[in-house]
Amino acid sequence: PLCPTGNPAFLQFAPFSSALEAGFWHQLTQRKLNDYRLDESPKSIKGYYYNGDSDGLPTRLTLEFSAFDVDGPTPAHCCPAIGTLYNTNTLDAFKTTDKKALLEKEAKEIWDAIQSGAALKDPSVLCRFILLTFADLKKYHFYYWFCFPALCFSEGIKIIQQPSVLEQVFSAKQIIALQEAYDGLCIKSGTTALPYFLMKYKEDTVQLALLGDWETFFLDTKKVTVGVYDPCTLSQYPGWPLRNLLVLLANRWGSKLDQVEVLCFRDRTLQGRRSIQHSVIFQVKLPKLSKNSVCPKSVGWEKNPKGAMGPRMVNLSECMDPKRLAESSVDLNLKLMRWRLVPSLDLDKVVSTKCLLLGAGTLGCNVARTLMGWGVRRITFVDNAKISYSNPVRQPLYEFEDCLGGGKAKAMAAVDRLTKIFPGVNAEGYNMSIPMPGHPVNFSEKLISEHDVVFLLMDTRESRWLPTVIAASKRKLVVNAALGFDTFVVMRHGLKKPPISQTGSVPSIPGSSLFSNIPGHKLGCYFCNDVVAPGDSTRDRTLDQQCTVSRPGLAMIAGALAVEMMVSILQHSEGGYAVASSSDDRMNEPPTSLGLVPHQIRGFLSRFDNVLPASLAFDKCTACSPIVLDHYEREGFNFLSKVFNSSHSFLEDLTGLTLLHQETQAAEVNHALIDTCTNG
Amino acid sequence: MSSCLLEEVTFHRCCQMLLQQSEQLRDGWSWEPVQGSQEGYLRKTALKSAVISSNPVWDLQGSISDSGSHTSCHSGPDEQGEEKDQSVLVASVDADATNGAIHDDNDGVCMVSEGSSQVLQYEYHIMYSCSYSTPVLYFRASTLEGRSLSLEEMWNSVHPNFRLRLQNSPFTTITQQEHPLLGQPFFMLHPCRTEEFMRPVLQAAQDQHRPLNYVLTWLSVVGPLVGLDVPLKYCTQLHLAASPSRTEPD
Repeated sequence: PLCPTGNPAFLQFAPFSSALEAGFWHQLTQRKLNDYRLDESPKSIKGYYYNGDSDGLPTRLTLEFSAFDVDGPTPAHCCPAIGTLYNTNTLDAFKTTDKKALLEKEAKEIWDAIQSGAALKDPSVLCRFILLTFADLKKYHFYYWFCFPALCFSEGIKIIQQPSVLEQVFSAKQIIALQEAYDGLCIKSGTTALPYFLMKYKEDTVQLALLGDWETFFLDTKKVTVGVYDPCTLSQYPGWPLRNLLVLLANRWGSKLDQVEVLCFRDRTLQGRRSIQHSVIFQVKLPKLSKNSVCPKSVGWEKNPKGAMGPRMVNLSECMDPKRLAESSVDLNLKLMRWRLVPSLDLDKVVSTKCLLLGAGTLGCNVARTLMGWGVRRITFVDNAKISYSNPVRQPLYEFEDCLGGGKAKAMAAVDRLTKIFPGVNAEGYNMSIPMPGHPVNFSEKLISEHDVVFLLMDTRESRWLPTVIAASKRKLVVNAALGFDTFVVMRHGLKKPPISQTGSVPSIPGSSLFSNIPGHKLGCYFCNDVVAPGDSTRDRTLDQQCTVSRPGLAMIAGALAVEMMVSILQHSEGGYAVASSSDDRMNEPPTSLGLVPHQIRGFLSRFDNVLPASLAFDKCTACSPIVLDHYEREGFNFLSKVFNSSHSFLEDLTGLTLLHQETQAAEVNHALIDTCTNG
Repeated sequence: MSSCLLEEVTFHRCCQMLLQQSEQLRDGWSWEPVQGSQEGYLRKTALKSAVISSNPVWDLQGSISDSGSHTSCHSGPDEQGEEKDQSVLVASVDADATNGAIHDDNDGVCMVSEGSSQVLQYEYHIMYSCSYSTPVLYFRASTLEGRSLSLEEMWNSVHPNFRLRLQNSPFTTITQQEHPLLGQPFFMLHPCRTEEFMRPVLQAAQDQHRPLNYVLTWLSVVGPLVGLDVPLKYCTQLHLAASPSRTEPD
């Protein structure tokens, strides 16, 4: 009457669904690494099942981290189930393991326990399981297959009467009596859940007994009621644990019993209210099973999610691979900023920015570390220096060991260290010189094209010239940091408009003047404020002039500010075209969620003070003026070799600086020296 | 009140009270000692359907309707290729398995379409934080396969309307941390604001001479933020215990 196929109705059981808690796999991994190693012998483990779930939840057998502690406590009001773990060393062994034989072996043990009477003393042996696993600890992939062995009657179990819910059969008084009797028997047995029990009831009393007390409890077998702790939540079906109990009954008392009443005991508490009235009662005809019969056939391997007979696989690399964990922790920590303080922060923009660091010295090391703090993944170093003994104390990516044997190449050592700090980083290093006028050209424009932001972190002015030209031509954002002894400048270069739109007239920003509200495309570069072309400044200098001598804290401050400036620029809707904020804007509504987007930060450590000047691009600039970019774009390498190989005045002649110098010198006769300082 | 901080001794006393009540209410809290140490934590597990659960499909013939029981939580796009490989692998294992002569004869098995992937197992731990002198809630959720959910996936299992409110709540500073006693990755509600929101409650309780279990009150505030229900009966019981003359409010 219950099943679509109709009569005759045979009892059907809801199978267990395996349920593994995250801690189980962690524990299996620990055991495999520390205890089992290559040992494939079967191990005892423990799971449990519960009869208090809400409707709609699957009938589960749960294994948690404590599964390996077979003698440990079972959660309150749950029934333990002992299982056998077969953990294979290879996927092949997992595949070729004879599943049929495993099931038959386990079924035979249950059958033996039934025949010997051991199952009467300890009925929990009726509810056993097998777990076959293979743990691929390189990929953190876990293959597994559960089996819940159940002995079968060849002809099935006939249902005599439709199942009924307890509250339709029992009076309120009987229900209370049943609950009290159950609790009483639990206390007497020193447990909080009983897998199986015997039951007698009258109009207002209910008596319960343990399975082993059958002979004294049932003096006659006219009416026999057995209770089973039932993890199933379906109203028409019993759960799996009833199966082997019915086989036991048929084996022990089948000759005297024709039919059995089964109480599927379900006991749940919702919002502090306990109820058992939704328990279900079945009347079934007990099939015959002679005492001397051989072990019946058995079933029990769990189906996979596709509903087919097959194993399951779970990929836990996300939660177990330390590298993946580090990545998610780093990202989550950054997200905290968004949740708590800056809801509109666009982290993806920052994290996905590809950064090229020209120079891996004091500035480069500090910029890289701050970029990592922001979760930036793609970091490329270019430097041709080797690590020397004086470096590690100021350059936080290097150690004493790196200086030995002539010193490692900085660019390579920096990549290694970044990867050690955070394996999720995608770092690359190029051990090559950054060409400067007067130095050999050995530089790839490709590198600049492949990145979004170029950091100029070298220790000479001249080496910044070529990347400034290329980046300006390719419209890449440039962040430049330079150190004095106790002063620094951190600045973004003006970002030229795309070539097409540059030909049209650019609408002027209202209120834009020489020093305030300068839009990003009109801002100057590092060379705009200089009235000499870059030459070889390291030639004819003493050692102390060649080395960067600065207060040790300065590089950390400037390096950090360079990255924070980049992040603020990225948060601005116009990016590198953002109008430059100045010191005067400190009291105004900030243009981004992170605050101001200045053109330059000039710091004075002696005064512990920063100012935020802004300056216009210089039309005679030796690096970013239209005539230089035009020559570079048209002549390319030829132009560069002319710059590098010609006399010092080539660039000054080209841009008109020579003419300016002559005019200036003439003017000096009448005027005071022009103050070329731009920070006003 | 001089301080709203919770001393460790008081924490343990509060936990004991909570455990007693939980036992009466069958709320599922247990004390988990850590082997070889004095420390331990309160633990509770709960099961929840993450998506609207479909009705079981009955089918005696074994031709199960594939309801696509994959987790609703998808990994990144670059994962997909890998996932495909895995399914091929599992399929090859499947094929071998059937060669192993396990017959799917459905003997006495009622067929239920697997809703298991829609069910999530939540695990909650309450621990004491010495640095903040407050209780801290650790939690994680996993599928029935034992795969822990990422925080995104956890948020996705919360209704969108509710999600927004929770994310803007001043208390929901969720971070990922290694469990201090188990060494496994867990999420935790950061305790930095705990004292702030507990102060007025403690003050009011003291002014009105009401009994108060710090851990219980705290849990009733932070628990619901991460899907942990605290039955009202805990509190009514507490008040009954304190004033036996009163009749039960519900």
